[in-house]
This record gives sequence, C-alpha cells and structure tokens, in this order.
Amino acid sequence: MSARVALIEDDPILREAVTRTISLAPDLEFVAAAETAAAGRALLDTPMEVLLIDLALPDGSGIDLIREASARFPNLKIIVVSIFGDASSVVNAIEAGAHGYLLKSADPGEAADAIRAVLTGGAPISPAVAGHILARIRGRASVSPAASTPLLSDKEVAILTELSKGFRYKEVARLHGISPNTVGDHVKSIYRKLAVNSRSEAVFEAVQAGIIQLKD
Amino acid sequence: MIEKPPSPRLKTSFLAVFLIGLQIFFVAVLLAANVVAERAPGRLIDQAIANVKPTGAPGEEFAPGTLGAIRLPAPFCCAQTPVIVRTTLTAADAATPDLALLIPSAHDNALVYVDGELIGGAGAPSTETNTSRRPQLVRIPPRYAREGAVIDVSVQRAIGFAHLRPLSLGRYDALYPSYLALRLLRSDLPFINAVVAAFIAVFCVCAAPLLGARGLLLSLAGLAASWLLQHVWILVTDPPWSALTHTLLYLIGFLGAVLFLVWFFIEWTSAFEPPERAAQKPSDLLLHPWSASARQRLGIATAGLVALGAGLMLWRLNVGEEMIAIQDIDRVLGFLGLVAMAFCLLRLVTHILRGGMREPIEMASFLVVVLSAIADIVMVRFFSSYGVLLGVAAAFFPLALMVSLAGRARGVFEAATANAERLNALVAEREREIVANLEELQRRERATLLLEERARIMRDMHDGIGGQLLGLVLQAKANKLSGESLVQGLEESLADLRVIVDSLEQGDGSLATVLGAFRARIEPRVEAAGAQLIWEIGDVGETSGFGPDRALQLYRILQEACTNALKHGRPDRIAVTLARNDTGHIELSLSDNGHGFDPTHARGGRGLSNMRYRAERIGAQLRVASSGAGTRVSLQL
Repeated sequence: MSARVALIEDDPILREAVTRTISLAPDLEFVAAAETAAAGRALLDTPMEVLLIDLALPDGSGIDLIREASARFPNLKIIVVSIFGDASSVVNAIEAGAHGYLLKSADPGEAADAIRAVLTGGAPISPAVAGHILARIRGRASVSPAASTPLLSDKEVAILTELSKGFRYKEVARLHGISPNTVGDHVKSIYRKLAVNSRSEAVFEAVQAGIIQLKD
Repeated sequence: MIEKPPSPRLKTSFLAVFLIGLQIFFVAVLLAANVVAERAPGRLIDQAIANVKPTGAPGEEFAPGTLGAIRLPAPFCCAQTPVIVRTTLTAADAATPDLALLIPSAHDNALVYVDGELIGGAGAPSTETNTSRRPQLVRIPPRYAREGAVIDVSVQRAIGFAHLRPLSLGRYDALYPSYLALRLLRSDLPFINAVVAAFIAVFCVCAAPLLGARGLLLSLAGLAASWLLQHVWILVTDPPWSALTHTLLYLIGFLGAVLFLVWFFIEWTSAFEPPERAAQKPSDLLLHPWSASARQRLGIATAGLVALGAGLMLWRLNVGEEMIAIQDIDRVLGFLGLVAMAFCLLRLVTHILRGGMREPIEMASFLVVVLSAIADIVMVRFFSSYGVLLGVAAAFFPLALMVSLAGRARGVFEAATANAERLNALVAEREREIVANLEELQRRERATLLLEERARIMRDMHDGIGGQLLGLVLQAKANKLSGESLVQGLEESLADLRVIVDSLEQGDGSLATVLGAFRARIEPRVEAAGAQLIWEIGDVGETSGFGPDRALQLYRILQEACTNALKHGRPDRIAVTLARNDTGHIELSLSDNGHGFDPTHARGGRGLSNMRYRAERIGAQLRVASSGAGTRVSLQL
C-alpha cells in the first residue's frame, strides 16, 4: 500500500513541485494540500501517513501545528520543510514532535527520498542540527546542573558530537565500531527524547502556571 | 488592600488621657491624705507652756522664766537642748476611752511623759543631728488618764522652722487614720520622691548625649539630683556628720532645686522654639526664648551658682553665731526661691501667651509645680507651717514629663519614619530610572550590535550573491545567457546564500561544528567534479567562539581553496583536515592530489590574495604549498 502524504505550504510553486513529485512516485500517494496553518489544522483529520509542514506559514508558526498533530496522531510522520534548514527552527520542530526535515531544493527527487527515509525509520540529521541539539543540552545542564538525569546518554552525546563535525552515519559507525543502523536508532532515540522532554516540560510549566490541574 | 495601622496621634492621645487620669488619681489620694492628716479628730492642743531641760524636769513644776506660755507651731531657736512642752488633761479627755496623743511633727527623739512618768517615745535620745521629723501616736495608759494629769512632750530643739506642731488628744482609733496619712506624707512619699528623682537624674544624664534637647535633660538631671538630696536628707534620721553639715546639705539641696528649676524652665520655654532675634536685649532674658549658646552658658552658670552659693553659705556659717547665720541663709534662700518661682511663672505665662497651650499636660503640671513651690515657701517662711503642696505637685511632675517626652519622641520618630519613607520612595524612583536607563542602554547596545551584524551581512551579500545575481541579470539582458548557465548561476547564488545562512547558525560555537555544517556545501561540488571528499575532523579540544563572521571567512577561504583545487589541479581526492600540528597549533587544511600550480605567479592570484586577506581578518596564518603531487592550503589558527 502506498503511503498517503499531505502538504501544508504557502508557496504555490514549491507546493506544485512537491505535489507533482509525490504524485509521480509509485509508492507515495498525495491526498491533500493546504496553504495556511488554519487550513492545515482542518486537514489533519484526513487519513494519512506523512505530513509535510512549512514552518513559515502566513498565519502563524507551523510549530504549534506540529505539536497538535503529533499529540493527536502519534503514528503520523511529520516532516518539516525549510529552505535553509536553519538549525534552531528544525530543533524546535523536533522538540514539537517532527520526525525529520526536508530542504527545499530544486531537485524534486530529494523530497521523495526524504519521505521514504523517514517512513523506513530513518532519521536525517545535519551537522548544524546536531550542533544545535548539543548546545541546547549544554545550556540546559548549565542552567540546572542538579537536574536529576541527563536528557541524553553519553553514547548519544558522543554520536551527536561526531555528526556535528560533519561525519556521515557510515563514518560515525566506523569510528565507533557499530552499524550505521545503530547510529540511526540513536538519532531516532534522540529525537524522541527531545520531543518527550519538551512535552513534559510543557506539562510541568502548565501545572506550575495553573493551566492544568492534576487530580490526586 | 492593607489595613492602615491606628493613627499614632490617637495612640498618643490615649496615653496622655491615661496618664492624666493617673495623675489626677494620685493627686487626689495625696490631697485626701493631707486633709486627713491636717484635720485630726480629737482635741487640738495649740496652747501650752514650755521650759528648757534641764531647768525643768518632766512632771515637776516649771520654774518661772525660761519660755513660759507658747503657741504651737513654735520655732524654738536656737539652742539644741531639748524643750518640754506641757499641757493638762481635761475631764473630757479623761472620759475618752483608749486615749492617745498624736504628735504630727517632732524630732524622732520626742518623748512623752504623764505626771513625770515616761510612757512613750522613739529615736536616739538627745542626738543633736537628729533633725528628721516623723509623726508619733502614743497611747496614754488608762490609769494615767485622769482630769488634771500633766502631759509633757520633750523634744529636741532645732534650727529653722517650727518643728513642733499642734498636738491632738483623742481616741486612738479616731487618730489612727491621721497618723497613717502623716506617715505617708512625711515618710513614704519622700522615699518615693527620692527613688523617682534618682531615676530621673540617671536617665537624664544618660539620655542627654542621645537626644537633641541636651540642656533640657541636663537641667532636669540637676533638678532631680537636688530633689534627691532634699529627700535623702529628710529620710536620714541619724547622719554620721555634724548638725551643721547636715543643715548645709539641706540648704544646698534647696538652692540647687531653685536654680536648676530656673534653668529647666528657661530651657523648656526656649528649646522648642527658635529665638526671635539674633541679638538679644536684656528684657529677652525675662520673656523670650534664649538662643542655644546662651542656654549653654546658662547651664555652666547654674552649676557655678550652686557651687558659689554653697561657698557663700559655708563662709556665712563660719562668721559669728552659727544659728543666726543659718536663720539668715534660710531667709535669703526663701526670698531667692520666691523670686525664682516668680521668674519661672512669668516665663511659663509668656510661653503660653506666645504659643497657646501647645503642651497642655506639661504646662498644667509645670504651673502647678511653680505655684505649689511658691505656696510652700510662703507657708514655711511666713506661717511656720508645713509645705506639702510641692511634694504633691512633684509627684506627678515626672509623669507629665514622661508624656511630654514620649510625645516629642513620637514626633521625632514619625518625622524620621516619614523621612525614611520619602527617601525610600526617592531611592525606588532613582532605581527605576537607573533600570530604565540601563534597559535603554542595553537596547541601544543591542541595536548597535544588530546594525553591525546587518551591515556585515549586507557586505557579505554584496561580496557574493549580489555580484553573482547582478552578473546574471547583465548577461541575460545582453542575451548572452544560456538556460544552462542561468541555472548554474542561480544555483551558485543559492549555494552562497546557504553558506551565509550556515555561518549565521551558531550551534555550540565550536570550530568542529562550524566545519561540520560546511561539509554539505562542498561535498556535492567535489563529487560533481569526479573527486572524493575525505573528511578528517579530529578532536582538537575546546574551540568555542566561532561567531558568524569568523565562520563565514573560514567558509569563503575553504570555498576558494576548493574552487582552485578543482579548477587547476584536476585531483581525484580532496581532503579537509582539522588537527593540531607539531607546534601544538590548531591547523585546518584543504589538500588535493592534483598536479599543483606555482603559487608565486598563479593565475588565481586574486583568489589567493583574497584568501590571505580573509585569513588575516580571523587572525589566522595562511600557507599555500603546491607541487606536482598536489596542493595544500593550510590555516594555522
């Protein structure tokens, strides 16, 4: 069965290009497209496996939409679309629950490749994104050094460090004597931890602020 | 909303009313005691005959002459031998059950005889120095209580005022309350006064340096000390010094009280209002506030006057007959006291006239004190009677003063609190201003940084992508642009834009991460040229601080080096290496295995000089080495 893909993107040319690429791919099925975050929210109920979201939507940040989609549909694969793949917004999206990101590029094949990679359990990560995650973790540790457990394991931090230097999965695997798949698993685990941590932090803050009332 | 505390004025008023009530009660008790003491029931004996021991003996017929018939109160002057005062019982006396004799005031060594038999008395016999006076209530045994029985009271004679006052004969029970009242006034009250005076004297001396009104407190201390001396004098029955010294002490106490009271009232009527004129006329000394310096001189003068007075008294006592001298001094002091009290009264009245009843409690008590003193002096000097009013007035004088000082302290405290609040408000306002200024400063600083950053990015855009796009536009206008070269040109522009964006990514700010982000930019180009990229980023330790500017210069140097390598050398391998070199410096290099070029007169000379310029900007050393086996561009950071 082919994977159903929806797209939320405000640029008509890019929307057109991506839509065509997906429609041409035999293993992907294009189901819906939206131009705004509001329309995208309405589109969430459409049955699908993959959701592509542009972060810079005219009526608001795609981050909120990602958070909502990931909370409502845990099995939905969310992929962020960005021109430059600037690391801070990508990491924000990962924390909100995104599973990968896609650089807008002139090569339409890349979009299909990225979707397939995420569907098969791959987790793309650029050196800049890895560097950003490292910086955030260090920042958090310096804010509260006594924080009970470190967010990421030593192994995960070591792998992130290698990835931030520009090494590919294969090269990292060779350096650490593990298989490239294991590297991918670590990266997925990092993604999950970031999202979970971000959610629990949000809940914690909401409880602190009195937005959520916990029953005892 | 915070509840406001009750107004301090209200609290002060409560305190004042309470203290006034206490004073009124106290005065009422003392006046009642005085009335009871003065109006002893029974038969008042103010006519008697007197004789001097040992000319006459108790019970025996007096030899004619010596003193004869007297009227009580009688001042016996001036020898200190005992005097016998005699009266006889009437039929009514004899019929009174439980007959007793009340002696309101006599030396402690007064002895009572009936028909020559000693029936009562107290104190050390015939002590010349025993000048204290206590009341006595002596029972007359029933077997002596018959009509015509002779009652003799033998008392020490003394200097000064009448020490034997009219006696009372009556029922013991009826006289007892008067005896108690007398004991309270003559014995207990002086004790209380002495304690209060000692307390005030110590307190004022200690508080004078702390509080503002130094002269006021010191004058009060002097007054209290004099007051203390007088009451200790009353309480001491058998002093270890001579009768003359004892008398002198009393007179000094009196003089001190008068002079210090004058000083005190001048302070009181001056300290809280400024003098009206800088230069003062003599009449101002009488009626107007004194300046602080004048009052300071007055304080020294007062102490000096007391000392001088004591000296004068001592001198007078040693000239001629002592007893006459004491009488003289007594008269002078009485006169001085009256003048001084009149002066105080005048100052008080003018003070009230100037400012109204500003301090009603104090003013009332002060007036009572001054008037009582005048009344007492007049009573003692001219009517040979007891003066008790001053004792009564003085008892609530300290209370009034306490209210006054508490009120003033409260005022000072409130003023200080208000001041502190004003200061706090001022400090808070300044703090807000400072914070606002600081924020403004920071905002400007941020704005400046942003401007610099913007200028830098503009420059970078201008250097790279701007020039490229402009070139494309010019070529396209001249119809010299093929579709293929347009795509290529646009892709290069996009790539350059991405490099700029990459340089803006801060990540963890380390050199390794800065390089990591760059790999994706050059690897496609290297591979498109049919070469392989070898990526060797070693661990070189902490290398933070690679901001956007340094990162971009680094990228541009590597781009240029890579372009040169691909253009001139035709290599099949390009390696990017980050490691520490032999000298321990961090070295970044891009090397290829192409056939090299001559760096000294290379065609890419402009590219090389550009690279050098950029290396200088980031504080790095650029080395280019080329041979037939390849080229190596290295940066020592």
